This record gives sequence, structure tokens and C-alpha cells, in this order.
Amino acid sequence: MPKISIIVASEKLDKLFPAATLATTAAVMGWESEMFFTFWGLLALKKGYEPKEVSSDYKSYEDDLRRAISSGAMPSWLEILEQGKKTGKLKIYACSTTMNFLGVKTEDLVAYVDEVVGAASFLSKAKDSDINLFIS
Amino acid sequence: MEANIVVDARNKSCPGPLLALTKAVMKASPGQIIMLLSTDPGAPQDIREWASHAGHKVLNVEKMGETYRIYLEVLG
Repeated sequence: MPKISIIVASEKLDKLFPAATLATTAAVMGWESEMFFTFWGLLALKKGYEPKEVSSDYKSYEDDLRRAISSGAMPSWLEILEQGKKTGKLKIYACSTTMNFLGVKTEDLVAYVDEVVGAASFLSKAKDSDINLFIS
Repeated sequence: MEANIVVDARNKSCPGPLLALTKAVMKASPGQIIMLLSTDPGAPQDIREWASHAGHKVLNVEKMGETYRIYLEVLG
């Protein structure tokens, strides 16, 4: 089966949504799928975090996106990820370096994080991917 | 075409229709036919791609006004 690896380096709604969509879609297609949350992306893995903002360049579209989600036209990014996790094909990794400098502890992370890893470990897992994306 | 299960994902955009369909497939039995209703113009091709990877079969796609009716046979 093909494999996709996505590095997520932003906690903004407009970055998390496509990252989760691609990762979960791959998982429900039976692909191996993995996401590595680093830098500001790691903030999205903290318990209780709910993305409400889009990137500053696209502020004028923020209300449109929120409306699409609250109306049910678009699922929330967490609902998307949860469905990907249910397949057993989606792995979620948190960046250990980012956790250090942001002072985030393992117990601060949401339960669906599979592992806390460094760059070398993630590269080793991702090296045989067919698709690699960096979303920030 | 007769369907055993109807999944209404109208007014949902990608990946809503596919996720709604995969949820239904997980609960369905082999041989059952699911009719997915979707207004997302990307859905017919998306569902075909997904089915070819996931091992299910798109039997037919009909367009009724703005709504696509996508018939999927659940395979084992």
C-alpha cells in the first residue's frame, strides 16, 4: 500500500484542515499515513486546543470557514483525525524538541498521539513514503 | 437501483461525503448496496478512487439536479 507522511508546522485552522483531510483520506483508502507535528503545529496537539484562527494573510475568510464548520458542511479537524485514527492506519507523532522549548509535557498531549519522537526518528519512519508534505 | 442503506451527505464538502460513506461501510455487511447522496462535485471521482483502493465497487452514479446518487457495493 502507498504511504504518506505530512509534517505539520502550524496550529492555524487553514493549515490543520487540509493536513487532517489528506492524512485521514489516505488512511480510509487503506494507505499508511503519518503526521509529525512540529513547532507551532505541536500546539494543536495540546489537550483542549481548538483552532479558531486562520493564517493572518487570510483573515478576511475566517468567518466563512468557521461558518462552514459550524453549519456541518465541513467536519471539524478533530472529527476528521478521529476517523483516521479509527482505521488503525494513521500514526500521529509529536516533536520532542518542540515539546522541550515550549515546555509541553507528554501528559499535556491529547490521547491520540502515538509517540513523541525527534527528527531522526521521524525521518527514519518517513523515508519510504510515496508522498511527503510540509504544511506550515 | 435498490439500495440497502442510504447515506445523506448533501451540502457536505470534502472530506465529509467520503467520511460519511466509510462510516456506513464499516457497519455494513458484504453484498449490501449503499446509496450515497452528495452535492459535492468532486464526490463521484473521489468515491471511485477510494473504492478502488479500499476494495469496494461503485456500481453506478446518477445525477438528479444538483445531487449525485452514488451506488456502492460493499465487498468483503
